[in-house]
Amino acid sequence: MTAAGTPSGVPGSLAERQARLVAALVAGAAPPPGFAPAPLAAARAALLRKRAGEVARHWPLLAAGLGPRWSATFAEWAADRPSRGGLRDGWDLARTLHDHGTLPPLGTRELAVREATFRYDGERPPRRRRLPAITRTGTTFALQLASRVLLVKGRAPF
Amino acid sequence: MTGPDGVGIGWRPEIAGFVAELPGLRFVEVIAEAVPAAGPPPDGLTELRKRGVAVVPHGVRLSLGGTEPVEPARVAHLAAVAELVAAPLVSEHIAFVRAGGLEAGHLLPLPRTREAVDVVCANVARAQAELSVPLALEPIAALFDWPDDELDEAAFLAEILDRTGALLLLDIANVYANARNRGTDPVALLDALPLERIAYLHIAGGAEQGGFYHDTHTDPVPAAVLDLLAQLCARHRPPAVLLERDGHYPPAADLRAELDAVAHAAGLPVVT
Repeated sequence: MTAAGTPSGVPGSLAERQARLVAALVAGAAPPPGFAPAPLAAARAALLRKRAGEVARHWPLLAAGLGPRWSATFAEWAADRPSRGGLRDGWDLARTLHDHGTLPPLGTRELAVREATFRYDGERPPRRRRLPAITRTGTTFALQLASRVLLVKGRAPF
Repeated sequence: MTGPDGVGIGWRPEIAGFVAELPGLRFVEVIAEAVPAAGPPPDGLTELRKRGVAVVPHGVRLSLGGTEPVEPARVAHLAAVAELVAAPLVSEHIAFVRAGGLEAGHLLPLPRTREAVDVVCANVARAQAELSVPLALEPIAALFDWPDDELDEAAFLAEILDRTGALLLLDIANVYANARNRGTDPVALLDALPLERIAYLHIAGGAEQGGFYHDTHTDPVPAAVLDLLAQLCARHRPPAVLLERDGHYPPAADLRAELDAVAHAAGLPVVT
């Protein structure tokens, strides 16, 4: 045993090193010492691709609207954000793009329907709205009644 | 209940109709976390069970290699799903998937150290205590290694299998991927593994990207992987081999052809 307490002479317990490795792979942290950089970078990229696929299944119009830019857009946004699941990751990304004015029309429609159908505060898991709702996503208004959503663009219809 | 037998396929909702129409099918796998513990199982699985097709729950989120004790609720779920589908056995991975409160979102490798062997064996024992059926352990495909390996892959696996009494679920595509990405000989690993401990095999497709071979499960099975399957079965033919496909599903004819290619390479009856 070394002074650091590991049988293999590498600093830190296995628990600490596993935590550092996961943080490096999904939260943008520095990798734990000793790992070859290129294979670790490849693993990080593969995890982001897998995550992008999961988000695209929850948000097909968002992904389709971004087209060839989807993978890079998602990877840039997600690189230092651990996953909160495909539904919430896509939601958070759509809101971010909307705030930056870069959400494509298809993504805006998908976000508007979701905002009208679910209540999501960005912190807790989304919950389905049980009451009728009128929500606004930019200039897109959504009227939701019994889980059916009518979208109107341009001005408030009511 | 018979164990895995012949050529099987990973049951996924997207290909449930295709799987239901395979006349010679004897076993499938289902992702354990995708089945509600309280049931009922998906209709397609229930129909297969009525035909006598064995269903093997395949866990992906137990994190048997995590330094925290495996979560009792996750083990209870796996055990409940095994009961629900009257499974002959269940399987999980030699890997960890979360640490420090973060989910990795995929299976991550362990250092091949005695400390890691101890961690895995303790968690496997915890799981086995709650399971009413045998557990098979699957070594994963990993793009990177830890810097402090003390054992080689074969010794690492043998130590875990000997100490836990678990069966081996060998993924021949993982063997191929790991060897290709490290420039090592996959056949040498096959010669060093306890092949008689294999409950069944996995096989899947992959693709080269960024200088690495990725075990994607969304691409066709390369000829080199089928060759490796044939070389394994020439040494010792396990009772079953299962094709894993997890997206970008090809036309039915292509998937049937792939199942046939697997059967031919393994020397097992075709199921299509």
